[in-house]
Amino acid sequence: MKRRDFVTRSAALGGALVLPGGLARAQSKPATTSLLAPNPAEFKRAMAEFLGTARPVEGGLKLELPVLADNPGAVPVHVWVTLPITESHYCRELIVLAELNPSPVACRFRFSPAAGTAEAAVRLRLSQTQTIHALARMSDGKVLATQQTITVAASGCGM
Amino acid sequence: MAKPPRIWVSNAKPARGEIVRVRAQIEHQMESGLRSDEAGRLRPRNIVRKFEARLGQNLLFTWEPGISISQNPYIEFTFAARESGELVMVWTDEKDPPLEARKTITLS
Repeated sequence: MKRRDFVTRSAALGGALVLPGGLARAQSKPATTSLLAPNPAEFKRAMAEFLGTARPVEGGLKLELPVLADNPGAVPVHVWVTLPITESHYCRELIVLAELNPSPVACRFRFSPAAGTAEAAVRLRLSQTQTIHALARMSDGKVLATQQTITVAASGCGM
Repeated sequence: MAKPPRIWVSNAKPARGEIVRVRAQIEHQMESGLRSDEAGRLRPRNIVRKFEARLGQNLLFTWEPGISISQNPYIEFTFAARESGELVMVWTDEKDPPLEARKTITLS
């Protein structure tokens, strides 16, 4: 019921749409696009900001999520670093990106050496079939990267 | 944010260095700021902005969810039990006072 209203309303509002405060980073987007539209500029910016000058390294970071989203409003995503974690070699920051979501940065984890591990599982809501990326910055500056595509068969989560 | 958080800990009496798994979930609308009400006005965004887990005085990790995290945000994490203490988890959103949950971890 709510989604149907939302779709008809967003079509009617059309050119008068203004992105709310938190999404105002996408200033280059024209006002006529839907609120659920992907934000490729924000995705690229988030990737570039996390990578900095480092090149992403494949391996050492595992991402586990289903290939088909039964419930696009709650997709279980499990991410963990498989490299040994010690007091001197640990994961500083881990970021999960949903490439085609209206807000591509799904979440960010900042681990401390006191944690002793770098593992987390969350539930994402996805607007459409897309690739989920996970990036982890280790204490030695290396950035581990991995990705997996997930198919959202039902109509995606309308957030 | 009325109901207490639901917490599950794999082992509240771990051996030193044992990896403890924790699952925590709260009830939260996670209003994304993209939905509108019947009149067409956008509902203001109100999501859990920060989650912190501490064991005693030590900060284990911080989780910063965005609007792509599901409603009733679920978090599962692990940590190495290096000392006895209270595992304190705090959820902070954009409107209400922070929500807190505690679990005592005793090294066996």
